[in-house]
Amino acid sequence: MAILNDFAVFILTHGRPDNVKTMKLIKARGYTGRVVFVIDNEDKTIDQYVKNFGKENIEIFDKKWYADRVDEGNNFDNRKVIIHARNACFDIAEKLGIKYFVQFDDDYYSLGYRYVEGEKKINNLDKVFEIMLKFYKSVNIKSIAFSQGGDHIGGFSGIKLKRKCMNSFLCSTDRRFKFIGSINEDVNTYTTLGSRGEVFFTFTNINLSQGDTQSSKGGMSDQYALSGTYVKSFHSVMMQPSSVKIAMMNAKHVRLHHQIKWKNTTPMILDPKYRKKK
Amino acid sequence: MKQVNLFGSEFQDKSEKKYTAKIESPTYEPKNKQPHTLELYAKEKTRRLFAEIDRSNVSDEEKLFLRHAAARHIVFDYEKIADYYAHANTEMQSLMERSALVIIDFEKAIENGYVRLCDEIRTQYLEEYGNTE
Repeated sequence: MAILNDFAVFILTHGRPDNVKTMKLIKARGYTGRVVFVIDNEDKTIDQYVKNFGKENIEIFDKKWYADRVDEGNNFDNRKVIIHARNACFDIAEKLGIKYFVQFDDDYYSLGYRYVEGEKKINNLDKVFEIMLKFYKSVNIKSIAFSQGGDHIGGFSGIKLKRKCMNSFLCSTDRRFKFIGSINEDVNTYTTLGSRGEVFFTFTNINLSQGDTQSSKGGMSDQYALSGTYVKSFHSVMMQPSSVKIAMMNAKHVRLHHQIKWKNTTPMILDPKYRKKK
Repeated sequence: MKQVNLFGSEFQDKSEKKYTAKIESPTYEPKNKQPHTLELYAKEKTRRLFAEIDRSNVSDEEKLFLRHAAARHIVFDYEKIADYYAHANTEMQSLMERSALVIIDFEKAIENGYVRLCDEIRTQYLEEYGNTE
């Protein structure tokens, strides 16, 4: 597919070379394009990744180098976090000559169309990426993501573009931005940059599901189990204290979570008819 | 496909309705009334912090820094800010745009692109699943 020539799926993974569910999923959903595994140089399982997926598909970045160049929002000196991989993706894409890429976690188990009657699996993911890319290229936004289960609590949210952007980031090397705060980096980023007029979206018509935050081994799970979700959520309060607070969330497991007051976070998008002629 | 029943009212083919959800516009519709500028932000917490800073014994340089930092707690109401923008003069509009207090969807790129995005995803969905119940 021509539009996907300068596009790749980046799977951000750590310590799970034999359990990269996302790879199996995207192949099963009909993706035929390039996949790049983004792995940090502190991962002890690099050899196994190479064995499983081939050296040519693996990009290793210097985690400490990226950690030294970002506001982590804490002094934990803990690099078992995904933010550095997220920031490294822009450099990796540029090095590989890939202009557009989507950042995926490694533990997705479903990817589907979301309508009122529920979710139905995508069979031609190439085409879905092509449609998403067409939209992304036509508008001046930083990134767009697929929705997740939490976006449809209580039933289908309707088809909308939410101003949040989590987990699956469609990005371009032409529209670089920097993730901040070592944990809850997605929320930290879309709230702070969003409040300054950068646009991020989540498209609720496509939905992905992944393992529960605190239930699967490896990846970020250890970090969350260590501090619960209070510390995680509080990073976003520190970054955007005027509109983010911590509240209880009644999901599968009751837990603390960030709560965003949207009308106090992102400037409204207006029809140009409201702009007076000079 | 829309059809007319015996009583003359239209109803949608059930299989089509199933895949047609309300598409919510990403743009905000400003209200007819321009709010007062004092309604555009809330400074309660910032004021409390200012008072504490002023009562403190830290240096003037530190006070200045803390006062700047306290501004992070000003709560802006972006809906009211958009309402205000719609009724503001061109100079004020221009300054508000410069400060990214509103986002103008030039040539309706977002709105029109979004409609196309929804249409194309729906077409792809129907190609894969058809109109079957």
